[in-house]
Amino acid sequence: MTGPTTAPRLKVALLSFAHTHAHSYLRHLCARDDVELLTADPEGAAASDAGPRGAEFAADYGVRYVDSYEEALAWQPQAVIICAENSRHLELVRKAAAVGADILCEKPLATSAIDAKSAVDASDAAAVQLMIAFPVRFSPAYRELKERVRAGQLGDVLSVVGTNNGWMPTDRSWFTDPELAGGGALVDHVVHCADLLDDLLGLPVLSVRAVTNRILHADTGVRVETGGMVNLTYDGGIIATIDCSWSQPASAPTWGGLTLQVTGTKGSIKIDPFASHVGGYDSRGALWLPFGADLDALMLERFLDMVQTGDMTGADGRGGLRTVQIVNAAQESARTGQPVRLRSEERTVRTLREQAQEQVH
Amino acid sequence: MTELKVGLVGSGGITGVHVPAWLALGAKVTVYSLEGAEELAGRYGLKVAPTLEELLECADIVDICTPTASHSDISLAAIRAGKDIICEKPVARTVAEGTAVLRAARAAGVQIYPGHVVRFFPEYAAAKAAIDAGRLGIPAILRFSRGGAGPLRDWFYDQEQSGGLIMDQMIHDLDQARWLAGEVTQVYAIQHPATAAGKTPRTVSAHVTLTHHSGAISHIQGVWGPATMEFRTSFDLAGDAGSLHFDSAADASVVSNLGQHNEASYLPAATGAESPYLTQIREFAAAISGGPAPRVSFDDGLVALALAEAANESLRSGQAVPFAAPQVAAAQSSTR
Repeated sequence: MTGPTTAPRLKVALLSFAHTHAHSYLRHLCARDDVELLTADPEGAAASDAGPRGAEFAADYGVRYVDSYEEALAWQPQAVIICAENSRHLELVRKAAAVGADILCEKPLATSAIDAKSAVDASDAAAVQLMIAFPVRFSPAYRELKERVRAGQLGDVLSVVGTNNGWMPTDRSWFTDPELAGGGALVDHVVHCADLLDDLLGLPVLSVRAVTNRILHADTGVRVETGGMVNLTYDGGIIATIDCSWSQPASAPTWGGLTLQVTGTKGSIKIDPFASHVGGYDSRGALWLPFGADLDALMLERFLDMVQTGDMTGADGRGGLRTVQIVNAAQESARTGQPVRLRSEERTVRTLREQAQEQVH
Repeated sequence: MTELKVGLVGSGGITGVHVPAWLALGAKVTVYSLEGAEELAGRYGLKVAPTLEELLECADIVDICTPTASHSDISLAAIRAGKDIICEKPVARTVAEGTAVLRAARAAGVQIYPGHVVRFFPEYAAAKAAIDAGRLGIPAILRFSRGGAGPLRDWFYDQEQSGGLIMDQMIHDLDQARWLAGEVTQVYAIQHPATAAGKTPRTVSAHVTLTHHSGAISHIQGVWGPATMEFRTSFDLAGDAGSLHFDSAADASVVSNLGQHNEASYLPAATGAESPYLTQIREFAAAISGGPAPRVSFDDGLVALALAEAANESLRSGQAVPFAAPQVAAAQSSTR
């Protein structure tokens, strides 16, 4: 994983500390001696959150910090990691692409399909790689599921129930800001399961239907949906549902989780990649000591490999665009109450050739 | 309680749990069935009635365990004979038929109860009690799943006979969702593979999303899977003050590893000390003998049936279907 210290180090800029995954990414990046880091969080000072932002946040990790994105990008990083608020992703993707950096962008890629398409176009035009932060793709449980499904052990897939339930995010106020986040639970949690299904099935979604509500956490005055159920119909008829609700009670000992229950004509498999833990109780209640693969570490390793080798397998901006299209359709369906057919120009159909190439990998 | 004289109609799978329940209550059971009556009678020591008329003559309570499409005709015959009735779910093949049965029962002053046995499974009853006690706060997001090997008999796959996966199997959780989160205003359903030419595929899955009057959302997954699939049910219920989770596959009161294949079963393994079918039949029998009203009424069964019909309509139209529970006014001639 780590190269000889005499080799030139990879220049990585991490832009914005708005998303708290910046903690995890910095922790892993700081542990690598083949990476040279620079960070910037110019909007941090104006953020309303209590937690440290900006130079103070960077100092906690002992990483270099500058106070403007321009300065960070003028440093000519080879790789840029974007942890800004969802609605600010596009602007930073454009800026990073303009300096020729490969990009790892927090999910969702954008708050609208139009912005997501613009982000893909910007990375295409600059011939840089655009990867979206979907760490569950790297979980051993998901990889096993995919291998078994692709090997035909389930027969023909009939249906999938995906859940991505968690605490309502409160560590940063923008997560529940309709403009900065682009919405609530639909925006936060649909894309992970939608991305896994995109990768697992390799099929376009034809129809999206969603219902949302705001019963959970209503006492906080939250302005975005806190509960949501999204029904998907894929080309060929496979059905799926994603429960994206922020339904993990605050009293629970862990943040939540993600599950996929895949049912086929020959059997079924359920994966629960965050299930591994040691349980118990202390004086304050239940304990949850998680263990298992560190998905953020695996994802970062893959991203940095991609930057170094140019091999794009398994993570492209178009997948990020497709998941944002599903979120947008779900938002429209939640407004109208009726299913939304994804318009043909938005339906990014993978050609059979592309699928065949994927099988080879 | 005087001796219960029960007339059982049908000899299919569900009678294997109904008959032991009746016998446990000390009932005298006579069976009438187009086929299989002698075998069932031999297994449990029952009497056989050669015709429905003769069955009705010797019974005070009629227990209808036949294929769904025959429920309403048999119910109406029993009502005409003045008998109280327990009818397996779905209460009828169509809401129109079920409504006619309910009207006739009220006019005749007979009692009729639906076999929505999941309300008597202790795990679901525990969830209901917790919600009623306010431990979850306001229910917001409810998920239910139910799946296993598909039923063996052909009529289950005939839409005319059974109403398909949603009406036959998922109706249990349609009833649960309404029991736990209240009346429903909108129904959306998807299924794969689709029912075509009146036939439900042998392996099939459907998803139904309900919007409740309260704003709560329920999701129900049903599966008729391959013969090797173990029966499994689960629920995950979230309210603004807490959550509840149950998965029969994780219910570990007995964990065995006997080096044998598991026998896939269409019927769920009971988790309680007592068969939920016995709990159900005891509660119905007590009501028929003048006791308190049971936890589920025929009206509830009719609403569950209407939800299944709406879900099937959603499958046909591809649209979400607005829903209002059918209203059946009390008959004026009811004397009971």
